[in-house]
Amino acid sequence: MSQRKKAGPASQNKTQRRSQLLLEEDEDATFSQITSSQAQRARENFTSDQIDHKVAEVVQFILIKDQKKIPIRRADIGKHVIKDYKHIYAEVMKRVCRTFEQVFGLKLVEIDLKQHIYILINKLEPIRGQTVSMHPGNQKMGLLFAILSVIFMKGGTVKENLVWNTLKKLRVDPGEKHDEFGDVKKVVTEEFVRQKYLEYGKIPHTEPVEYEFRWGLRAEKEVSKLKLLEFVGELFDQDPQSWTQQFREASASETSSQST
Amino acid sequence: MSDSRRRSRANQEESGGSTNGVGGQNRPERSGDMGDEDDIGGGPSGISQEDDDPTRRREIRSKYRDLINEVQQNREDMLNPANNKLTDVLEEANKLFANVRQAREAALDAQLLVLATDLGKEKASQLHAEGSSFDPSAFAEHLLSFMDLNRLEDESGMDGNLEGYLPEGAWLKLAKRAENCFRTAPAFHYMLGSFLAEPPPPRQRVERQRRVPSREEKRIMPTQLKKMEESHQEATEKEVERILGCLQRYFADDSRKADKAINLKPSLSGTAEEPISYYEFVIDPNSFSRTVENIFHMSFLIRDGLARMYLENGLPYIAPVEEGEMQPSGAAVRHQCVISISQESWREIIDAFDIKQALIPPP
Repeated sequence: MSQRKKAGPASQNKTQRRSQLLLEEDEDATFSQITSSQAQRARENFTSDQIDHKVAEVVQFILIKDQKKIPIRRADIGKHVIKDYKHIYAEVMKRVCRTFEQVFGLKLVEIDLKQHIYILINKLEPIRGQTVSMHPGNQKMGLLFAILSVIFMKGGTVKENLVWNTLKKLRVDPGEKHDEFGDVKKVVTEEFVRQKYLEYGKIPHTEPVEYEFRWGLRAEKEVSKLKLLEFVGELFDQDPQSWTQQFREASASETSSQST
Repeated sequence: MSDSRRRSRANQEESGGSTNGVGGQNRPERSGDMGDEDDIGGGPSGISQEDDDPTRRREIRSKYRDLINEVQQNREDMLNPANNKLTDVLEEANKLFANVRQAREAALDAQLLVLATDLGKEKASQLHAEGSSFDPSAFAEHLLSFMDLNRLEDESGMDGNLEGYLPEGAWLKLAKRAENCFRTAPAFHYMLGSFLAEPPPPRQRVERQRRVPSREEKRIMPTQLKKMEESHQEATEKEVERILGCLQRYFADDSRKADKAINLKPSLSGTAEEPISYYEFVIDPNSFSRTVENIFHMSFLIRDGLARMYLENGLPYIAPVEEGEMQPSGAAVRHQCVISISQESWREIIDAFDIKQALIPPP
């Protein structure tokens, strides 16, 4: 009997988490199952004031969730804020996007259409010389920029060793604790990945396992490749167009982001 | 024993070979593809002896494994666009494959091919046909210059040495410039700050927790205290009454005393209405602390008007107050005095009065 007992406390947690994820997936699925007629009927159930109030709540929820720059899941919005108003979710979100654009100058972007996660990006283009936020700049942005530039200039995928070696030359050693960044490896492979700035994946068929870095979904939407190339050109004192392949890619992504 | 095993395996392979021989009808075509070495090619009757040679097959397998190891260990080397090592490996594999007849070796060949293609893909991705190349080391150097790296004067200038240090705020400078490339939404903060949301809830919880036990404690306290006080009071009152009893007994007739008192001595002064010497009554020659207690209890009696003390010939005497003589406590003329005793005087009195036993029996 004792041998057959499978569930120790660790596996119980795993099954709990799995069932919780399934629940959330189910909740998420209900969003897509709402028909337009249901939505129409549901909209009539709520007064305009109630809907406005709910819109304000969602806006506040997203603003605060975005502080840490971790993408927001649609399931979370549904669970914590919308709750009963699920049937008019589409209407609410439409108004939410509009509020963000008109009131805050921000864009709510769905970066992963399958998993339905959102980020907030600035609608306005940054101006040279002006700081975006009132608070002192975040040094990690400098670190992130260095890594993103290397990945971009090297074609979009680099092996992790290249990133670590470059960082070492910048006096940032992933093996040691850095004065300003702390546990560098953790920041790069966990924090930046969770924020979807970077992707850290296994290279197949490697023994021992090696990893590679790519741009994350957030970086694709948030970073202007053209401006990045410009800065790299400044550093090298070279014309950005001399890197023809990268320049082509940067221009293409610039026009595509402007069209959205 | 290993020999016999090898032989048995060889037998198995032979028997397996014979079944393969049926499928071996495709072989002529295969060997046709391979090209030269066709003198081995057996006919439809089955695989010839040479194909089955276990030593030969082991050789092939070990060569394949060597190639695989070489590719895995020297990955960086193979990727170097300057050489053709990868092509050499592929050519070797091709030669080896010419001798492959059975699935086991073919599987190894497939594994090697997978590795080689992966490397090939990587090598291809390294090619940037047009435009200038990008050197990450140079990029790092430029970044350091941008961040105003302080190069120490005696820097040898070698690539391996990391001389110099970045000034304070170097990364901040880079971040500011890099921000320009990002379309980051500014993080949401209240302009005038906010109340710290965290501390109050824990404080309340702690207070509530503290309050509850204290209330319970208070509830417990009174009952305990009451009990204590009662016992104290009882003890004191009991003692006082007991001593009153002793006093009255000693003051009473001899006859009565003779029946009860154990501690009675013929030399006692307290006979038939004779006043008792205070010292003799109170002092316990065996214990100083009990002497002090007796004095303490005596003072209660005197305060309550149940006994009186007076000086005679310079010595204090005590006597119980008769029933009739008892006056309401308010009306009586009251004198106050403080009696003190020290261990020295206690011993002196014992010597002077020659007190051998305590008149007040210990409780």
